[in-house]
Amino acid sequence: MRSRKQLRPQPQAAREDVIVFAVSGFKLAIAAGAVKEIRGMEGLQPFTLGGISAQIAKLRHTLERNGTTYFVVDAARHFQLQGAHPSRVMVLRNMPTGVLVDSTDRIMEISALHALPPAFTHEERGWYRGLAVVNGQVVPVVNHGAFLNRAELETLRAGLERVRGVVTV
Amino acid sequence: MIAEGDKSYVLFPLGEKRFALPAETVTELARPDSVQTFPHRTPLLTGVLVRRGRIVPVCDVAQVLVGPAAPPRRFYLIANCKIGARQELTAVPVTGECELASAALTPLTGTEPPYISGLLAMGSETVEIVALEKLVCVEATA
Repeated sequence: MRSRKQLRPQPQAAREDVIVFAVSGFKLAIAAGAVKEIRGMEGLQPFTLGGISAQIAKLRHTLERNGTTYFVVDAARHFQLQGAHPSRVMVLRNMPTGVLVDSTDRIMEISALHALPPAFTHEERGWYRGLAVVNGQVVPVVNHGAFLNRAELETLRAGLERVRGVVTV
Repeated sequence: MIAEGDKSYVLFPLGEKRFALPAETVTELARPDSVQTFPHRTPLLTGVLVRRGRIVPVCDVAQVLVGPAAPPRRFYLIANCKIGARQELTAVPVTGECELASAALTPLTGTEPPYISGLLAMGSETVEIVALEKLVCVEATA
């Protein structure tokens, strides 16, 4: 017979710095180490690439930085939310992805990451690494690799190569 | 009078109707607390509660059991729910106070939805027993 303790997943206890950000009134967090830069919306170019724009509707802009093309995902569309007022771009580290958010708040340390309860069964299982509890408030910690997954990045890379020739990402 | 062999159930109201959960699955009746929400796409789940350091999903079964016209929920019945291989606490918003009762099962008529696991005869009232895990699974895959 399994004990109650065995049945109950324990939160991961590693401490981690996260950046709190807001989208459509919701507070979320992203690993601080996953973010290379936070900047305003200057320099964003509308993304239009034939059928790919329709295929990846959450991808709204690109950003050129130091010879690298970043694909900027609208976080509100990613999370299927409405009523967003984007003003900041989080440029991710080690991937050609930017994330358009309403605002960024503060860096804080979380001491535990709770698994998303298994009752949540839809897209959110890919969206989040888990849930942090900060002063009694639940803040989802996003899976930054899900803003543009490997297949979507491959599609983009191939599309841009077709249009421009070789692109550095 | 409780007949020998009768099982205990927690009866909970959703508007005018009452439903039942097996008493052994219910851990707590909680006062209204702040449901915390975050973006997700799973039907029926309205958010989570933090109870004693645990994160408990809130499953608004009233939407399925009585429809959108259910009155405001006043309490949370927290019950164990088997999801996949795991037992998880799940908070069920209810519209009034609950009652512990014992009664014998009456046969299903065959017309009930799959998430009704039995019927209780409580005087002139027939109370449906809710199989929470089936209700969550049916809606999650809908």
